[in-house]
Parts: sequence; structure tokens; C-alpha cells
Amino acid sequence: MLDRRLLLVSGKGGVGKSAVAASIAIAAARLGRRVLALGMVDSLGLALHLGVDSLGADPRAVAPGIQAAVIDRARALDEYLKLQLRVPRGTPTRQLSKALNVLVDTVPGVREIISMGKPIYEAQQSRWDLVVVDAPPLGQLLSYLRAPATIERLVPSGIVQNQAASMRRFLLDARRSGLVLVTLPEELPILETVDSLDELATEPLVDLALVAANRVLPRLGVSDGVITRLPDGPMRHAAEFHSTLEDHQRYWLDALGDATRLPHLFGLVTPAEVAAQLSGAWGEAR
Amino acid sequence: MKRTEIMLVAGAGGVGKTTVSATAAVLSAEGGVSTLVVTVDPARRLGDALGVGGLGNRPVKVAGRENLWAAMLDVTASWEAIVTRHAEPEVAERLVVNPFFRAVADRFPAAQAYAAGEQMADFVDSGAWDRVIVDTPPSGGGIDFVLAPAAMRELIGGRLLTWLTGAGIPGRRALYRVTARPMLRVADSILGGPLLEDIAEFMLDLRTLYDGLASRASEVERHLRAARTVLITTASPTPLREVRRFLDQLPTASVDPAAVIFNRVLPASWATAGEPDAVEGIGQASWTALHDNLARWGAEARHEADTRRQFAASYRVAVATVPLLTSPPTDLEGLALLADASTDLVGALFG
Repeated sequence: MLDRRLLLVSGKGGVGKSAVAASIAIAAARLGRRVLALGMVDSLGLALHLGVDSLGADPRAVAPGIQAAVIDRARALDEYLKLQLRVPRGTPTRQLSKALNVLVDTVPGVREIISMGKPIYEAQQSRWDLVVVDAPPLGQLLSYLRAPATIERLVPSGIVQNQAASMRRFLLDARRSGLVLVTLPEELPILETVDSLDELATEPLVDLALVAANRVLPRLGVSDGVITRLPDGPMRHAAEFHSTLEDHQRYWLDALGDATRLPHLFGLVTPAEVAAQLSGAWGEAR
Repeated sequence: MKRTEIMLVAGAGGVGKTTVSATAAVLSAEGGVSTLVVTVDPARRLGDALGVGGLGNRPVKVAGRENLWAAMLDVTASWEAIVTRHAEPEVAERLVVNPFFRAVADRFPAAQAYAAGEQMADFVDSGAWDRVIVDTPPSGGGIDFVLAPAAMRELIGGRLLTWLTGAGIPGRRALYRVTARPMLRVADSILGGPLLEDIAEFMLDLRTLYDGLASRASEVERHLRAARTVLITTASPTPLREVRRFLDQLPTASVDPAAVIFNRVLPASWATAGEPDAVEGIGQASWTALHDNLARWGAEARHEADTRRQFAASYRVAVATVPLLTSPPTDLEGLALLADASTDLVGALFG
């Protein structure tokens, strides 16, 4: 997985997407990769998990081997026009950019293709071995992933269309890009994940690199028969609670099928500690 | 006419907002108050929690319960309803078939949140219920729902349309003036098509909605300001950040949250527990495992309690807790158990 150039980390809100994205960046950097971690919509979670307070549009070093930034739309639009569309010299790009900037808010696909264009562009640059994106929840990410196709439909020909087609191919190329779908071993997140996987199977927009089940409890390893010998009190309650929750998790993990399991981390205080602990799981992941 | 109370249940996705909304509705109805609970979540979670499937835009009476109705809004349909309501018939017809209409309806979150807000206002104005409980869309932790009327006014009367179509409500002739602008001609030559003309036409049509929409938006805002708002969160950083953002943006939102409810709270006793003396028949390995287990959950409970304390110290808002259940309630009885398990939920919900 860490051999790909672009990894998009998504999942529903609250499942630990940003922590997982940061942990992948940390694991890849540990292997000597030069990593760019990008926040796509809300970058605060990613920043905190990488141990800094905030991220700007310019990549900044946050750890050895890891630079991080947030996608700034106005900036991304300028870069899109200059670097990706290679708008001919002499074109009034400032005016054009101003005109487009106003339209970006309203025209379907434009904002998305610009936001999607940035990580794809960076992933093709030789200064990075891996670009990890803390992406929005899957429903929202799908509209970004559909943007190239939307643009290809709306724009009949020209550079924009070619650019959109090349983005679509990059996302579907399993050697270069992949989606990491994060979920929790609970009923609703698993049901939604299964739905999402079906949706991606019928409408291939990006290659699925792996599904990660976050906050999987450790085995208690004590039988119910032993637990019931404990007197009524916190030790017994905590054991009963853990064992019931473990059963639920096992049931929903089975329903999910093949997934990388990330451990539940107890009582950790800072987001940076969480990301550092989780990064250990990626050493052995495919 | 009787005054209908509105309760907004807001918070990030995945914190149990729908469960708390449904619990509030069950408690409210049991108290003899005719209650409608509305969700705009596209997942059928409220339907599942209430044991009724396939809710439509129309409220349905919950089977076997007095005073309790539920509705799940299809916001895409609501957005079409907005256009039908606020635009001239032929404009509405043109808008609905415009390729940009569906795309904008699908992807402009404020439009969906606003459509939900109009629906909520319709339910309230009908006077059919004493209390309407709204499980708000999770977008922006609920703040998007509250700010949606203003965002819609800005979309339709704002700088984009004014820039494209000029001040005032333009006639269709303005279209030619707009698309003749040199800037747009350059853009068109690069984009490779009459894209901008299509957009400008769409915008001009949308613009005619402004007067009707602006006055309805003000009414929706008035309802939102009168609502009792409760924020749901867990002790996890992500949803808590959304709650902080909601509270920090209050001066602009003008919605006064009545309480913050921490959901899925671990028992305080685990944080401070000593351990019992060795028990006969439990071997060393098992004992160590049980000891470690209590220590881990105790650390978690302590961390949560610290987070709650820090939060309560920095905001002047009532804080309530709902204990963690091993499996979330899936039926009405389960919701009642959840309410029983909390000492301060009822107070936080109803004051």
C-alpha cells in the first residue's frame, strides 16, 4: 500500500480518518519515504495528529520526512490554470482566475476538480514518494472523485477535458492511487461502509487500497465463567462490558470481511500520541 | 393558535444524535405532548430507531404510540419544492430540467439544509403538533442548518449573481450582455464550450426566486432563533471540536444552546476503582487480565471525565451525560432504557 503515490483516506465522521491519515504518513516516513500529508477540506484534525496547531497552503516540515499542508482553493485554482492547464502565455490569467474563482462556488465539478487536481498533481512530482490525503467523508469525497467525469460531460472538448480524463485514469490506476476506507467495528459505520463498498464496486472511481477497522478492542482472554466469580463491582462490570463489546465488534468485523485492524487506544491524551501509536500497524500491512 | 415548541438536536455525525432525538420524542410524547420528530439524515437511522421503515416527507404516526409522529425528509425533493414554491411556473419548469440544477441541488449543502429548514417551518406553522424535534443534518456539526437561510439568501442574491447579472432582477435580455463580457469569452475559449452561457441562464432564472425566498428565509430564521437547541457530543476530539465551533459561532447564529449532552459516557466508578481481594478459583493469568482490563478502562474513563471538566469550565452551558450502552438502542423500549440510565438527560432536553 505504501508503494503507491497517492492515498486518499476517507470514512464517515468520527471514525478517526485524520488519525489514520497521519499514522500512514508517519509509517511511510519511517521507511524513508518523502511524504506530503494534505488536508483536503478541514485540516485541523490532520494538523493536531501530526503534532502541530495548524497547516497552511505551503507545505511545512512537521516531522523528519513529512511535510504537510492544506489545500487552499484560491491558490489551487491559480496552480491549476498555470501548471495543469498550461494556459498560454499572454492570456490574462489574473482576470480569468478572478472570473473562474467566482464561478467555482456554483458550477458543479469546478471546485471539486480543483481540489482533486492538487493532490493528483503533487503525487506526480518527483519531490514526493507518497501523498497522503485526509479526505472528507466518503459521500462528499465521491462528488470530488466524480468531478473529472462531470467535467468531461459538461465541457465538450479542449485542455480542461483532457486534463479531467487524465485525472480519472490516475485515480483508477491501482499502482499509483488508492482509497483507504476507515470504519469502526460498530453497526452503523459497518453498514455504511458495506454500502460504500457496493457503491464503489458499481461505480469505480478510485482503486480501493484497503479497509481499516479502527478502535478494535484487545482480547480480554477471560471466560464468562471466570468473570461471574468476581464480586459485584468495577472490576466485574468493566470485564462484562469489555467482553460484550468485544462480541459485538467481532460480529460486525465478520460482517465487514477483509480489513486491517487498528487497535483501540485507551486513555491516550494527545492526537499526536494516537497517530504515533497507530503508525505501528502499517509496518506489516499489505 | 397554540404555539409550537421547536427543539433542534445538533452535533457531529456518529455521536448518537438520531438516538437522542428519538429518545426526546418518545419522552415528550409520553408526557402527553403531541410530538413530531424530523430527521434529514439520508440514512434511515431514525426509521430504524423508531421501528418504522420508509418514512417519507409526510409525517407518519408511530405505531403503538400516542402523540408521536415521525418524518424523514428527502431534501432533494424539498429543493424542487422550494423552486416550485418561489419561482414562476415556466421558470420553475426550466430550472428543474437545467443540467446545473440537479448538480447544484446535490452539492450545495446549505440548499439541502435550507430545504430542511423550510420543511421544519411548514410543520411548525401547520400548528398540528405541540413540539417539533429536528435531528439536524450533521454537516458542520449542525451550524450549517442554523446558518442555511442566510447562506441561501447569499447564494441567490449574493455577489456571484449580482456580478453575473447586474443589480436588480434582470430580464432575459441581460443574458446576452453577460455572456458578451470579454472575461467570460476568454474563459469560454479555454473551457471549450458555451458552458458559461448555460450557467448564466441558470443564474438568471435562479435570481427570480429571490423575493419569495428571502421573506421565507427570514421566517425560517425566526423559528430557528426561537428553538431550544441541544448539542450532542462524545468526549472524542472530533465531535467536541464541532460543538466548540457551534458555541463559538453563536453570536452570528443567535441560537442559544440549552445544553450540551455527552453521549456514551463510561462509569465514573471505573476511574477511581480499587480492586477486590483475590477471588478463589481465578488463576493468576486471568487475574492479571482482569486487572489490566480495569486499569485500561479506568484510564479511559479518567480521560473522558477530564475532557468533560475542561469543557464545562470553558463554556457557560449546562452539561449532561448519557451512559455508554454496549449496544445502541434499536427500538422504543431501548430508548426508554437509555433515558432511565441517565440522571440528567430529561433536564437537559426539556429544562
